[in-house]
Amino acid sequence: MPEPDIADTLVAFLNADGIPGKRPVHAWGIGASGVFVPSPVAGSFCIADHFQEKLPEGYPKKPQVVSVTVRFSNGSGSRQNDGAAGPHDGWSDVRGMATRFHLGDGSATDLIAMSLPEFFTPTPETFLDFARDALPRPFRRETPWQKLRDMLHLTLPLPDPYPGQVSRPDDGAMDYADRNRSAQLAVFQAASIGAPVSYVRATYHAVHTFFVIAPDGTRRGVRFIWQPIAGALNIDLRDPAQQDKVTRPYLQQELRDRLAKGPARFSLMMMIGETGDDFDDSTRPWPPHRVRVMMGTLTLDTVIDCEHLSFNPLLLTRGIEPSGDPILAVREWAYQKSSQVRGGVPCPFSQR
Amino acid sequence: MTDAPGWLDRFVDSLPERGWFQFLSRYVVVPYWAWRDPKPKLPGGPRPAAQPGENLQCMMNLIMPLKDPSPVGRAKAALAIAQNVDAIFDGLDNVGTVHTARFLLLDGNLCMISVYDGDFSNYIRDFIVTIGSVFDEIMDLVVGGEELKPTAQNVDKFIAWVHAHDLFQAPDFPTDLFTLQDEAKGVGPGGPPHELRSLPRALILQLHANPNISLGGGYRAYPGFSAAQVRAKFGVGW
Amino acid sequence: MTAAFAPSTFDPATLQGNILRGYRLGRVRYLILEVGGQAEDRARARRFLAAAAEGGSAEVPAITRESSGKWAGGARPDTCFNIGLTAEGLRALGVADQHLATFPAEFTDGMTKRAMKLGDFDDSASAHWPAPFDQPRRVHIIASVYADDEGRIDEVQRKIADAFTVLGHRDGRNLAEDKVFFGYRDSISQPRFAEVQDPERSQDSEPVDPLGTVLLGFPNRFEGVLFSVPSPDVLGRCGSFNAFRILAQDAAGFEDYLDAAATRLLAHPLVDQVLEPGGEARIGRGLDRFGALREIVAAQMCGRWRNGVPYETSADAQLPDPPEAAVSLTNFDYSRTSACPAGSHLRRCNPRGGPIVQRIANYTRRLVRRGMSYGPDFDPATRDRSERGLLGNFIGANLGAQFEAVMCDWLNLGLQDPDVTGSNDPLIGANRVETSWFDLRLRDGGSIRLREIPRFVTTRGGAYTFLPSLPAIRYLAGLTG
Ligand code: HEM
Ligand code: HEM
Repeated sequence: MPEPDIADTLVAFLNADGIPGKRPVHAWGIGASGVFVPSPVAGSFCIADHFQEKLPEGYPKKPQVVSVTVRFSNGSGSRQNDGAAGPHDGWSDVRGMATRFHLGDGSATDLIAMSLPEFFTPTPETFLDFARDALPRPFRRETPWQKLRDMLHLTLPLPDPYPGQVSRPDDGAMDYADRNRSAQLAVFQAASIGAPVSYVRATYHAVHTFFVIAPDGTRRGVRFIWQPIAGALNIDLRDPAQQDKVTRPYLQQELRDRLAKGPARFSLMMMIGETGDDFDDSTRPWPPHRVRVMMGTLTLDTVIDCEHLSFNPLLLTRGIEPSGDPILAVREWAYQKSSQVRGGVPCPFSQR
Repeated sequence: MTDAPGWLDRFVDSLPERGWFQFLSRYVVVPYWAWRDPKPKLPGGPRPAAQPGENLQCMMNLIMPLKDPSPVGRAKAALAIAQNVDAIFDGLDNVGTVHTARFLLLDGNLCMISVYDGDFSNYIRDFIVTIGSVFDEIMDLVVGGEELKPTAQNVDKFIAWVHAHDLFQAPDFPTDLFTLQDEAKGVGPGGPPHELRSLPRALILQLHANPNISLGGGYRAYPGFSAAQVRAKFGVGW
Repeated sequence: MTAAFAPSTFDPATLQGNILRGYRLGRVRYLILEVGGQAEDRARARRFLAAAAEGGSAEVPAITRESSGKWAGGARPDTCFNIGLTAEGLRALGVADQHLATFPAEFTDGMTKRAMKLGDFDDSASAHWPAPFDQPRRVHIIASVYADDEGRIDEVQRKIADAFTVLGHRDGRNLAEDKVFFGYRDSISQPRFAEVQDPERSQDSEPVDPLGTVLLGFPNRFEGVLFSVPSPDVLGRCGSFNAFRILAQDAAGFEDYLDAAATRLLAHPLVDQVLEPGGEARIGRGLDRFGALREIVAAQMCGRWRNGVPYETSADAQLPDPPEAAVSLTNFDYSRTSACPAGSHLRRCNPRGGPIVQRIANYTRRLVRRGMSYGPDFDPATRDRSERGLLGNFIGANLGAQFEAVMCDWLNLGLQDPDVTGSNDPLIGANRVETSWFDLRLRDGGSIRLREIPRFVTTRGGAYTFLPSLPAIRYLAGLTG
């Protein structure tokens, strides 16, 4: 088990001040179930069960259907004392999509993704520094004079507070990024990420590199992306019709309403890493010029309750292996620990 | 506890939409910063990279100002291209690394937009070898072109000229602009980080130095494959 | 402009002697020189160059000139001395900026700025190069001194050190039987020029190369294309460019990889398509199946068996029958059904007349190669990991059109054949275990993909230099200021 100390420290830190029984981050979320259908080529890149387009004997050629549980979430935590608690769906925030594939032999494998394409820091230790810096700080609207100064300096304007917002992590994150180049991309993109009109209208990245094993034994370093087939779409607060979204949670109800009418779909795309790409640094996304493989289609049709579930990014299966990314390694224990603390259903790891 | 915006807040918030403020920004604020913190013009085309994916389906956005931008001059350019269709195909098929190429007349410019595999210099050099005469005709029409004729005897100079007229490709990840600007000033990636909030200014000042740019390196339906690989898969030979 | 292209006349006596042919002396020392910053340093350097160009003196060694075959009778010099200058070196000697600007960009940029094109990243990045190559701007001249006897080299070095600051040196030597580390026989293929008599090569079937392949001011293989001669004319004409590369070879890693590949092949269902049962004896004396498979992998990666026999013409035998001596080492060509894999080092560096994507580029990216090995002998039985490798010179009239063009599109990337595009040279490419691959060719035309090939060759230094003609050296000696 890699570095349980730092994992414990991280979980304790994230948990401080949280709502008991809730996840310390990605606290607000909703579940959905459905099926994943692997594409005809997926099996030639990865031997994992859920990527095999098995053709059941005799019957018309019908691809394998893998049942799937998904939990969508808002990235922010549940800190009680800073006024930020509660699902602020309309606030700019990273969203999560945790997916569990239920495999034929009764086992399962997870793919945990978020709407930010890269992570903030390259190691758990630097993440702790970052998280400390990025604790929500009280803030007020910039004065007109500060804003004027920003305009004359041609710098990024700081957003005004949302109604009811009195603290935010952005200022600390910015300070950290001013001192650490590797955090700049994630902080910059997180600052302007906005809020999706629906959990199924956002693109989710699994961020880390994984190795997939092909039938001939070839190991490929890859990154996974869930692409919404309906396309990504954010809310627009300049539109008067949408302004109530800032004050009224809408994402969970939207998903219920949507799935009651019909299913929502995602494509699972897999980018193949090349010589020169960093496999162990999740602060560096890969440019959009890598070979992209269409691995399958996810169809969600039913809202379910899965708040008690515990996902784990290292719950993998034969045919998928972790890279040497230290952030990925530390998450194995951090997620188990967090699950214990909040009394979640232990993730299947604890059965090993 | 929310502090409601007062009239001054609302006024300042509205400034970016006000004509006089836009005028002030454009003619005073930006020139002031361009003077205080000038950015070198960044070079055109894709940046050298180790990854095969970065070296396949590269984008060229060559913008060549016409000597005579009047309709007469533009018609001449249109004819020069039209009369050389065969020659262009000779080049395309025998250089073998070009996916697509097209010519545009855009205001006073003749633009050549293409997608090619491999190294930029090799691409241009191989094209001069096969159809240098077409480039010579084009050089007759564009500003600064005479100096490069005959292109077959000014290969290096011509490559440098095309490179200089190929649009800068903004990085795919916005904060990488800092790194590119540092590099252009001889500062390595280990240099001190920039204040993140200054990124918009960095971009504005870069657009001062490179008014026309390509936004990123482009998007592809089947990235990572060469023209010859596509032709081979379709069974049409290479 | 066009005036600059008055065709040059070929006068061997005006050329440095290491461009058109090798000296076949056993040792070389590369001296990395800086011209001092004071006026008197420049004056001293110029006096040295003037004397060296005029045939030398008691204190100054003579620049060795091209002989064009006159050494055949045995009157070969026992010590040879030549120079190449970097752009910084030309500047230090007083070449005006306006003239420097007429040199190609890759030369004035210098090798370290072209790193990505040359695969100089990760461990090969110039930031990791040992002194003196960690300060590329101080590298002004790379002088090469050749002799069989080290004492003579020391003597020449003493003279040079009187005129320049010696920043460092690199010693090379010929390994037995013309081999390089990795165990291959080298120095077989070279461009040939009509103007240079070489009885040993008169039977070669490759087309004769025009002089413009290596010399500025002469027509080259590109029809109608002439590379610009830098100005002033006397400086540029009949000059040449050199990519000097210090390439460390992980000989132990290479042998280890051959073991791993042979082990994998032994267990492969198609192993008999790699090596016909009972075919071991043709591969090498006393080899078992494992040993023979190792040699096949090595041969396909290079394009030649380790004894130099071309894989293209002798795919099933390193020891052909009729014997080795009867096989031409140089006369072969590639085709769509070649036995030699398109991904091999040989086919990547010189695809000859074979099919390539850039149809117009056959024979246009030729390189003159001069190299010797450095570091201790290597014993494949014990496989020590001391640093050793190749001191390589890759010479041509245009670095961009030849050396760089080969490095970035063919050697790495593999653009010339869709079957190898996306892979790097298995022997010397910028490989990485996670992504590398090489398709081993089977007897029935099929293939087995080998993977997890590590990077065997790491760059440890180098510079782009200009190899001036003798009149150009006199011009440099005559500069003032
Ligand atoms: C050192 C880095 C990280 C730490 C310490 C960390 C920590 C945590 C913790 C403690 C939880 C709650 C787990 C539970 O109680 O079940 C969580 C949930 C989550 N994290 Fe992370 N995380 C890290 C990096 C990431 C990254 C890189 C991603 C994106 C791929 C990510 C995406 C998520 C998502 C989507 C959830 C919600 C899972 C669910 O719905 O149950 N996290 N994280
Ligand atoms: C340590 C590094 C290298 C080693 C061990 C090596 C080894 C060899 C060997 C064994 C041969 C076959 C002998 C022959 O045909 O003369 C060869 C040929 C050749 N190599 Fe290399 N080489 C190295 C680096 C390079 C580099 C960097 C280049 C150029 C970019 C290059 C270009 C060539 C060329 C052009 C040939 C002749 C191909 C032909 O004409 O058929 N080599 N090399």
